[in-house]
Amino acid sequence: MKKNKHLLLWSSLGVLALLVVAAVQENFFKEWRRHQLRADSLAEHGIDVRLRQVVVPSLNVMDRCVSCHVGMAPGEPAIAGDKVLGAHKPVVHDPAEFGCTVCHGGQGRATERADAHGDARHWPEPMIPAKYAEAGCGTCHTHIEVPNYELVLRGEKLVERYDCLSCHALDGRGGTLRPLAAATVTSPDLTYVGVRGYDAQWYEKHVAKRAASPDGPWHASFGDIPEMDREALRVLLDSRVGTPRLVEAKALFHTLGCRGCHKIGGVGGEDGPDLTREGEKDPGLADFTHVPGPRSLESWFKAHFRAPATVVPGSKMPEFSLTEEQIDLLTLYMFSLRRSDLPEAYWPKDRIRVVRFGASEFSRDGETLYGTFCASCHGAAGEGMRFAGMTAFPAIASEGFLALASDRFIAETIRKGRPGRRMAAWGHANGLTDEEVGKVVAHLRALGNGVMPAAPDDLAERLGGEKARGAALYAEHCTGCHGKTGEGGEGTALNNSVLLATATDRYMAETIRLGRPGTSMPTFGMASTVRPALASDEIAAIVAHIRTWEVTR
Amino acid sequence: MSDASGATSGVTAMGRFLANLREIPKTFRESLVRGGAPTTDRTRSSFVFGNVFLHLHAVRTHRWSLRWSTTAGLGIMSVAAFLITLITGVLLMFYYKPYPDAAYVSIKDLHFVVPTGRFIRNIHRWAANVMVVAVLLHMARVFFTGAYRKPREFNWLVGMGLLAITLGLSFTGYLLPWDQLAYWAITIGANIAQSPREVTDALKITEYFDPGGLQRLLLLGSSDVGEEALIRFFLLHVMILPLALVALLGVHMWRVRKDGGIARPDDADARLGPPPADTYPVFTEAPQKTYQIAAIVKGKTPAVGKGPENTVPSMPHLFYAEMGVFMLTVLICTALALVSDAPLKELANPNVPENPAKAPWYFLGLQELVAYSAFMGGIGIPSIVLLGLGLIPYLDREKEGTGLWFGGPGGVPLVLLSTVYGFGTAFALEAFAIRFGWIREWWPDVPQLVITAINPGTVLTALYAGFSIWAVKRWGSTRAGALALFTCFLCGFILLTVVGQHFRGPNWVFYWSPSEWPGH
Repeated sequence: MKKNKHLLLWSSLGVLALLVVAAVQENFFKEWRRHQLRADSLAEHGIDVRLRQVVVPSLNVMDRCVSCHVGMAPGEPAIAGDKVLGAHKPVVHDPAEFGCTVCHGGQGRATERADAHGDARHWPEPMIPAKYAEAGCGTCHTHIEVPNYELVLRGEKLVERYDCLSCHALDGRGGTLRPLAAATVTSPDLTYVGVRGYDAQWYEKHVAKRAASPDGPWHASFGDIPEMDREALRVLLDSRVGTPRLVEAKALFHTLGCRGCHKIGGVGGEDGPDLTREGEKDPGLADFTHVPGPRSLESWFKAHFRAPATVVPGSKMPEFSLTEEQIDLLTLYMFSLRRSDLPEAYWPKDRIRVVRFGASEFSRDGETLYGTFCASCHGAAGEGMRFAGMTAFPAIASEGFLALASDRFIAETIRKGRPGRRMAAWGHANGLTDEEVGKVVAHLRALGNGVMPAAPDDLAERLGGEKARGAALYAEHCTGCHGKTGEGGEGTALNNSVLLATATDRYMAETIRLGRPGTSMPTFGMASTVRPALASDEIAAIVAHIRTWEVTR
Repeated sequence: MSDASGATSGVTAMGRFLANLREIPKTFRESLVRGGAPTTDRTRSSFVFGNVFLHLHAVRTHRWSLRWSTTAGLGIMSVAAFLITLITGVLLMFYYKPYPDAAYVSIKDLHFVVPTGRFIRNIHRWAANVMVVAVLLHMARVFFTGAYRKPREFNWLVGMGLLAITLGLSFTGYLLPWDQLAYWAITIGANIAQSPREVTDALKITEYFDPGGLQRLLLLGSSDVGEEALIRFFLLHVMILPLALVALLGVHMWRVRKDGGIARPDDADARLGPPPADTYPVFTEAPQKTYQIAAIVKGKTPAVGKGPENTVPSMPHLFYAEMGVFMLTVLICTALALVSDAPLKELANPNVPENPAKAPWYFLGLQELVAYSAFMGGIGIPSIVLLGLGLIPYLDREKEGTGLWFGGPGGVPLVLLSTVYGFGTAFALEAFAIRFGWIREWWPDVPQLVITAINPGTVLTALYAGFSIWAVKRWGSTRAGALALFTCFLCGFILLTVVGQHFRGPNWVFYWSPSEWPGH
């Protein structure tokens, strides 16, 4: 009896103690309470200590982030310089109108740091890391328009060179000099100029103002800008929508040829996974076996960019030699591929333009098109690529190739691809228009110093070689690389229907005679130490043999 | 209105009203416990039989039953854990939405958003585990003290039913969070239900006779774990099984009383000696009511044929003990709930199997056997074990050692020997199968039926059975055989569960520790 009484007494006291502990934990040791108490003591008039939230029913947002970040709550005082209690950076969108998680991800309803930031294990949407915060724009601005990468970079350099920053602020820099403050004219901040628009006659007006003031700042800090540089500056200004890093990242993405294999929003190749929603990938479902560092999407993306096949066994994605800066930018872009299912009322202009009216989200000049779809395999300068474990990708901007290939041949190849090889057909509805294919061809010619084929482009022309003799010669010289029936191997597939339908006899014969510098294709027209030179009639015979694989219909 | 009474007593109606108002606490107390305060033997008795909940108990309890070493409070602990899950479960139901994906989100909300939601869910989860453990230990206690013997044979069967419902409750609750852990554990569970297919497939009759497929279909309501399965499991978990459990629990406890209370040896009085001085004295006052009520009941009730000298009033002796165990259980569950969060993994994804996908821990022993043969591990051996358990009280008709721990022929030495043998053979077989593989690895073309018949699970069962038969002959007693068999199976269950829980990794491959799993 006494033992049982003690058991009852002490267990009950124990339960009571635990419940008190739980209650105190749940009510008083909440992190947000601590932050708010701090804000209360720091703010001039103090604040109410209570749970706060931003509710936006139409976005399905109920964000309690402002319980800790109380300085960002509507109408509450911010503590300047405080990491938690400070005000939100000035942005176009009012957090009170959009909530927090729409841009930053994370768990809006949670009230503890780890939970809210999505660091809790198995939380499917962790916060976008602060250094990639601009990626959050991608949630709504899925189709931010990006210009040609080179032009953006040039524009950024020109802004420095022409000293624009001494008067104008841009992306949080510059604008300190304000030489016109005395004249009560302020130089506008250019950070959002791509959204808000600007006077197309700005240059002429600047020149006129300089002419009007014989001395002073106008005279000292503004000089002539040549037409070409003005064009680069225009491209830069159009792209200033408040997310310079995201624009740069997206522009870079469109120079590396990623869309050659990956689809985003329905545009791109099919060799690799669709990246449309890559940024909202659940880290719980990613394989971190071979990813060093913390278990985060950031580590995963970076490790994957460094060595794709290590992170995803069996991946066909080549290992690009990217700089750390490039990897950082690409990681940012990956995070921005979020595409939340927003009500259409919230769709920004750029998204509607692309989704509803079929506009393009990237510049459609030849260089950017080549960079978007071709560069990953054929190299940034068309120099061809070799990746371990893959057949070499042809150097399509080599002068040897361009001297033989007609525009028609290259364009047809781009449109129809090479069935059975990794070269996809780009002539489909979501791919390239005939005009764009022409731009890409022109860009290739530019890369190859404008070399044009000398011989006429005559598909019907036959060199009239002896098939039987050609078969023997082919077996002797070509099978090693091109396969017994032209199925390809180290060399390209020659029995390919598109190749046979688009290449002229002369193209093939000349290629055999001259070889393809930079690839394994030797110069059969010249003798080497191990074999004699092939005569013209022998080459014609081989071509005739290759023609036998053509499917006649 | 007659003012005569008012005039005679000199008290106004208003005065009586105020007096009644003042006396409400007292009159309420009197109406609540009609017999008066439980201060005498008589009022203590009426306190018990006058209460709808308490009258499942006898009014007097033998001192033997109150010793901690008699029951270790395991039965009450099981009930307490059930009550805790009941209360916390109802609270959880306020937020839970039994629909795929919505279920996951509602649990996430419970975990991260609802005030005290995480705490309540943790308590619920821990109480469920405590309940499974307590029920298993309670069963072991009943077995080892020989308390299943006549007249308690039937209650042993009721207890087995309660064990099954307890496991069912825990298993159905496992799916409800709709995360990866839940989804794949239930997939494994459903595959175990489907395991008779191994035999019907081998006999090539699945097309005509498919009890395995039917079981799985009944369980899931569909070909895969999906919304049908979720609503089924939800209904079983919150309604059907709890109701069944409550009903059977009532029978179980009522039978404890009717079958003569907790089992005790015939010489219990002698073993206990005279009651200690601080025990409430027996019959301190002249009884106003004789114990005829006890005499009406047939059979071995505590009061028949014996004086009540070694019994004490259940109120308060038994109720202090029960309340103590109840609060201890609450303490254990809340402490565990504060220390360890109930798991919640990623949203269920039918395309990405968990590897390894593990069933709830109490089924891991079975899953270990299923890995060798789905039919034997999932249906064959469990059926043999259940049948054996059910038959024990009807085969063991002996009297020696009832009510004593490890009582009966063989006793403690036999149990120790069985422990060594039970762990040893299970360990040796597991080690052999892990190191050298089994028939399929040696001769890949062997028919499946051979492996169904001969696999580590069946070999282990045969070894245990052989040992039990030896014990029956050696001690000339069925009880000795039962002791040997039960101990062996208990050891096998523990060992296989530990192997399944800790030493099995992706693809059910052996690993010394989960930290060695690839992909971590």
